[in-house]
This record gives sequence, structure tokens and C-alpha cells, in this order.
Amino acid sequence: MEKIVFENLQETLFHEKLDNGLSVYILPKRGFSKTYVTFTTKYGSIDRTFIPRGKKELVTVPDGIAHFLEHKMFDKKEGDVFQKFGVLGASANAFTSFTRTSYLFSTTENLYENTKVLLDFVQEPYFTEEKVEKEKGIIAQEITMYDDNPDWRNYFGTIESLYKEHPVRIDIAGTIETIEEITAEHLYECYETFYHPSNMAVFVIGAVDPDEMMNFIKEDQKGKEFSEPEEILRQFPEEPIEAATKKTVLEMDVLRPKFNFGMKCNRTDLNGEEMLRQDLAVNLVLDILFGRTSEFYTRAYKDNLIDETFHYDFTLEKGFGFATVESDTENPTDLEAAIRKTLSSQVENWTIAESDLERARKRRIGQFMRSLNSIEFISNQFTTYNFNDMNLFDVVPTLEKMTIDHLKEAFSTISSEASHTVMTIVPGAKEN
Amino acid sequence: MFKKVVLQKGVNLYIRKTEQFKTITMSIKWISDLDAKQAAHRAVLSNVLQDSNAEYREQSELRKALDELYGTVFYMDAAKRDNTHMISLNMECVNDEYLSTDGVFNDALKLMQTVIFNPNLQDGSFDESVVSREKRTVIERIRSIYDDKARYAHKRMFDLMRPNNPASVSANGTEEGVESITGTTLLDTYEKMLKNDAIDIYIVGDVKEEELVEKIKEMFNFEEREFIRQSLELETNEVKEVRKVFEKQDMKQGKLQVGYSTPVSFYHPDYPKMQVTNGLFGGFAHSKLFMNVREKESMAYTVNSAYAAYYGVVYVMAGIDAELEEKAVKLIGEQIDALRNGNVTDMELEQTVALLSNSIRSAFDSARGQIEIYDQYKYFDEDFSADKWIAKWKAVTIEDIKQMASQINMELIYLLSGREA
Repeated sequence: MEKIVFENLQETLFHEKLDNGLSVYILPKRGFSKTYVTFTTKYGSIDRTFIPRGKKELVTVPDGIAHFLEHKMFDKKEGDVFQKFGVLGASANAFTSFTRTSYLFSTTENLYENTKVLLDFVQEPYFTEEKVEKEKGIIAQEITMYDDNPDWRNYFGTIESLYKEHPVRIDIAGTIETIEEITAEHLYECYETFYHPSNMAVFVIGAVDPDEMMNFIKEDQKGKEFSEPEEILRQFPEEPIEAATKKTVLEMDVLRPKFNFGMKCNRTDLNGEEMLRQDLAVNLVLDILFGRTSEFYTRAYKDNLIDETFHYDFTLEKGFGFATVESDTENPTDLEAAIRKTLSSQVENWTIAESDLERARKRRIGQFMRSLNSIEFISNQFTTYNFNDMNLFDVVPTLEKMTIDHLKEAFSTISSEASHTVMTIVPGAKEN
Repeated sequence: MFKKVVLQKGVNLYIRKTEQFKTITMSIKWISDLDAKQAAHRAVLSNVLQDSNAEYREQSELRKALDELYGTVFYMDAAKRDNTHMISLNMECVNDEYLSTDGVFNDALKLMQTVIFNPNLQDGSFDESVVSREKRTVIERIRSIYDDKARYAHKRMFDLMRPNNPASVSANGTEEGVESITGTTLLDTYEKMLKNDAIDIYIVGDVKEEELVEKIKEMFNFEEREFIRQSLELETNEVKEVRKVFEKQDMKQGKLQVGYSTPVSFYHPDYPKMQVTNGLFGGFAHSKLFMNVREKESMAYTVNSAYAAYYGVVYVMAGIDAELEEKAVKLIGEQIDALRNGNVTDMELEQTVALLSNSIRSAFDSARGQIEIYDQYKYFDEDFSADKWIAKWKAVTIEDIKQMASQINMELIYLLSGREA
């Protein structure tokens, strides 16, 4: 077992890659009464075209299948897995993102029994046509719920407007039509391909003894049979630099228009240290240009262009990346102009100075320290980074080494006007 | 779990020294009676105090100062509990131990002192431009509820069930209430808040207790005051006929809210029993609602119940196909019947107690969770601990569940749905 000590943070991380390829990470946290365990596969909604395990040809599966699979994992021959966790006092959940599917529980008692339930239910698939059919009603309601949610529509609508080809533009849950096509056979095919231990990671954090837990997981895995690890071949289409559409307007039954400015990132082939640096650098630039100390924010807030819902964000994964700046607003036109001006004036004449970087850096370091209080944050962020060969605990040293040139370079990956889009949700005309 | 120090009559300091966190968290709560007009004032006031002050006249200047303090978090908010209104000042800064510099906590305290005692006044009144901007912000906050259909349906249910009652008064007041605010009326609210409100100060983190008590006494020198909480009479009118209210908007899914009244409130000795009953009904993924409405019938993705204990209301929220409203209401009613008839297994009861216990223990793993839970439960016991409360849940029997469920009475069926349905 590898032991990695982060002295300044007073944290120690334990790691081992098991014989079957499974990566196990354990981070004990002093003073915590709960333990949070996640079991994650590097498989999300974007993995729709791939060569299934044991086959030679590429297939494209129906949209929404990774999420559908996540739902069906809980449903076993002997009943619902939530029941088992409930008896053992654990609160269980799961989620599917563009690139990952994660199963998790948190508990303050029966840690090993619960860990066993988690490992077993994720590693023992059980799908039948009847159960697959039944789930379609539940997922259709989930999709409809998100359809009625303007913030959700605004965010995902922006991604759809940015991407012309890449499957990140497709809803994670698919549509009511695409989930109709899903069969138990599809689920097994995807499961066999993506749920091999070598494509997965376990992360245990909180009240835990690292040696005991590592042994427990090892023993459990030894008792199960897996095929040899194989590399998974996924295929992604070529994505142009330009945004798919420049402007999208959607009518919904809302009182206040919702605005989102999307910027597609044109450097998404990095990994490891370089990727972490780019991720942090873009975030710092956004802090400086759009954060609450910025000229933009001060002016836009005073002029009623933005309100409390204002926020900005940057997402970077292998193959796609985008920044968004969003707010409810009475005046989408002026807000768009203000954002464009903020960006173009930096392109023409870079004004971000050392003092800006210094302040933004301090803020991000503090924010990172604060987030280390949350075991859920550490677990989810660590796993996301880990799948891209980045280390969460390198955040502070990377921030400390950041220079203005790094920011400039990072800014150039999102600043091109051609790769920008504007999404607005406006109050719709009422019928009746 | 918290050490209590009475700073003045009506002003209490609660400290929890712990090495669990890498930050120090502080929360100051000002508590007054809840009324819609004052709520509007207090919501705007908390925004105005958060915006700027005499030392940092511009929001951006204040935010720069916070960034320099390693991104110290500072925000204020307005909330209600029972029949009281609460303004909170919340601060969280990195513990100096983890930084190459020190004095961050001290500087953050000084900044909070400025926020409270040295507001952004111009000629003896709040800066008009700040006041009018923050009035607008609070109005936008009130209006935004309409855009979130689940929140809107929830609000409508309380409006219909408990009009003219704290249960339906918003912590932000009303749009009209906010419109009526002037710099002068706001100053009056500010002075009353400092002078009359009950004040609870919480600090959680790796602190030196004695030194800190002295520092707080000196820096936050509030005068003595007397605040007497008025007890709230529950409205539990005999329900003769269940009211049905259906409303339409342009949307796809039906948002169903079923409201029940119960005489068992937060202050009732049976409160823990009702918490368990609600958990069995629809609090978790093993609960009756989830298993029967979602898993068995595939009718919903979200279906759960909640217990607004201060107001004696239990309610169900479900996202369904609007055409299936009758079937859903019938199924929901059957789950209450099952509880009333004691149709509950020991396993279901154990699961519910185990998950309630897990949730309270887990909440204690964050500083804010410690503050918020203790702040509510200290009413019962100043030495409150999770384990003491868990013991009460563990003592609940199926007989208790039957009794509790028979005191949950359906009062309102509310459905918000699309126009074509």
C-alpha cells in the first residue's frame, strides 16, 4: 500500500492498485463520525460509441443508457438495494455525469457491511426485460421534471449550442424517445465493457482505518472472478472550433429571463499537471474578469444587469471543455454586450496584473482549504481529477506556481468569439 | 457540545473547540418576532449590511478585503423559524495554522465588527442607492419562486392551508412590503435589531476558548435586552372536507402537493415519534411512498414527505403525470392508512431510525451543521447531543406509529400542471 503524506494540509492518502486493476484510495479524516465511500466507473453519457468487450466492431448505443444502467443497478432479484443500506443505517445514492457513474453511501455505523453491499451490488448485474420496461416510466418522469426546470434547460441548452458533434451535447438522461429503445441486452453490453475493475476506482474517506479497509476490499475482490483487463476503445467525432449555434432563445413559463453566455474551450487534449494548471488558470481568469471584485460585476450589478443568481463556471474534461457566465436578468441584450466587451478588451489589451493574480490566488487557496472540510467534495473532486491523471492535492502548489503568462495562455483557449454562444430563456406567451 | 457563555442578558455566546476543521466558522443570529412588514425590512437590511460599510463603501472593496483574507466567506441571510424571524451573519475563514501568514481570523473578526457596527450611512441614513438596489434584489428573489415550479407549488400549498399565519409568511416579506422601504425606515429596523433582538453567537473551530470569550466581549459589545418568544397556537381546525385546488401553468409535469395537519408540533412531547412516522411515510428511499408510488407503480421519480413541525403540517411532494392525480392521491392515502393500521415491519422501523440517526450524525460533520442543529434543539436541552435524541427515536414503537398516523389528517390536495392536461 502506497502512503502519500501532504504535510501542509495535514492529510495522508493511502493507495493501492489491486491485481484485478481496481484502484483503491483511502483518506482517514480526524474528528469525523461518518465515512463516505464511492465506487466509480469511468463511464458516462458521452461514451456512446465504442467497441464492446469481446467484439471487434464499433457500436452506438441509445442515448441515456449510462444513466439508465445506474438506475437499474439498484434493482436486484431479491429486491431494492436501498433496503439493504437502510437496515445497515447507510444513506445510499448514485449519479451519472458526462464522464462518470458513481455509486456511494455515507454511514456512521456498520462500515464494512455497507462497503460489502456497495461492492456486491455494483459488481453483480441483474437486468431483465420486464424490469427495464418498468423503469422507463420513472425515468420519463425524471426527464420531464428537468424539462420544466429553466435553470437546467439553460445550462444544458448552452452546451448543446456550443457543441456541434461531441456527445456532451446530448442530455445525460437521454430523451423519452431514446430510452424507449433501451433493452436489457444493451445494459449487459455496456456493463461488461465499462464496469471492469480496471476502469473503476473506490474512494473511502472519513472515519476509517486504512489498513483494515484496504485488506477488507482486497479480500472481497479476491473472492470474485473477473476477466483480464482490456483497453476500452471509445470513438468521438471531430469537433469544430466554432460554436454550433450563436444564439438560442427558448420560451418557458417564467417571470424573469435567464441568460447564459457559453465559451467553448479549444484545448482539451491535456492531462495530468498541464490539465490541472489550465483548469485552475481559466478559473483564476474568470475570477478576475467576472468575480465580485471585478469591474464587470460592480457595473453589471449596479445597472441591474445581474442579480443574486449570477455565477460563472468552468468545466474541463478530456475532449470537451466550456466556461459559462449566467444570471437571471431583465436585460439580456445589455448583459451580453457587457460580457463581450469584458472579453474583447482583454483580447485587445491584456490588463490583468500581478496584484490581481495574487488576490485571486489567495482566494482560491482559501476556498480549497475550506472545501477540504467536506468529505463529499474531496471524494468527488479527487475521483474526477484522478480519472484525468490529476492529483487534487496538487491544487495549492499549482496555484502557488501560477504566473501571468499561464493565465494569458489559458484565456486564449476560451476567448475566441467564434466559439461563443448565447442562450436565453424568455417568458413565453401564455395560452388561454 | 457547545460551551455557553452569557455575555449579557439576551446575548449568548456558544463556542465549540474542535480540530476537525481546517477553518473557523462563526455565525451571529438576531432573532425577533415574525411579521410580514418587518420581514421585508430585515431581508433588505441583511443585504444592505452585506453589500458595504463605512470602511468599505463599495461592494467590490469589501470583497477585495475578503479575498486578501484567503477568500474568507462572508454572507448574511434572512430566515424564519416558527414565529420568529432571524437575520444571520455568517463568516468562515481558514485556520491560520494552514497558512504561511497569521492573523487572518483576527482580521476577519474585525471586519465583521465593522459590518455590524459601522454601516454605510450617508447623512445619518443608509445610502439610498444601495438601499434601492438591494430592494430590487429582494423583490427579484421573491418573484423568482414562480420560475421554480416545485418551490412555487410548495409555497402555494402553505398559502392555501395557512393564510395569515407565520407558516405562510415569507422571510423576505412581500413585494409591496419591500417597495415601501426607505432609508429612514431601514435605519429604524437596524437600530431595533441591534438593541432589541435576542442574539446568539456561534463559533466552531480550533480556537483558544478563554482568549476568544474576552475578545468577543470586547469587540461585539451588545447591551442587555429582553426578548420573549410568543408561543404559536397551531391551527388544527377540524377538516370536514378535503380541499382540492388545481392550478395551471405552461409546463409538462404535474407537481402534486398533499397537505396534512397534525396537532403534534415541535414543542409537543410526541415530536420525536412524529419524526419517525414521517420518515416511514416518505423520508427515505425505503419509505412507503418511494417503494409504492415510485418503485411499484413507476408513477414518479420524486415522491417524498416532509414534516413542517413548527406549523403542525406534514406534506407530500410528487412529480407525476397530471392525468394520474387521482390514482396518486389514492396511493398516497393508502400509505397513511397502512401506518394507521400498524402495517409496518420491524425492519422498516429499524431502517427509518437508522437513517434518521445517520442524518443527524452526518450533519454534525460540518461546522454549519453543528451550529444549525444545535441552534434548533438547544430549546429542549442546552446539553443537546445527537445520541440523546437518537435514543428517543430508538424508543418509538409500532404502536406509537399507529397513534401518530391517526393524528395526520388530509386537508388539501394541490396540483400545479400544464395547460393541455
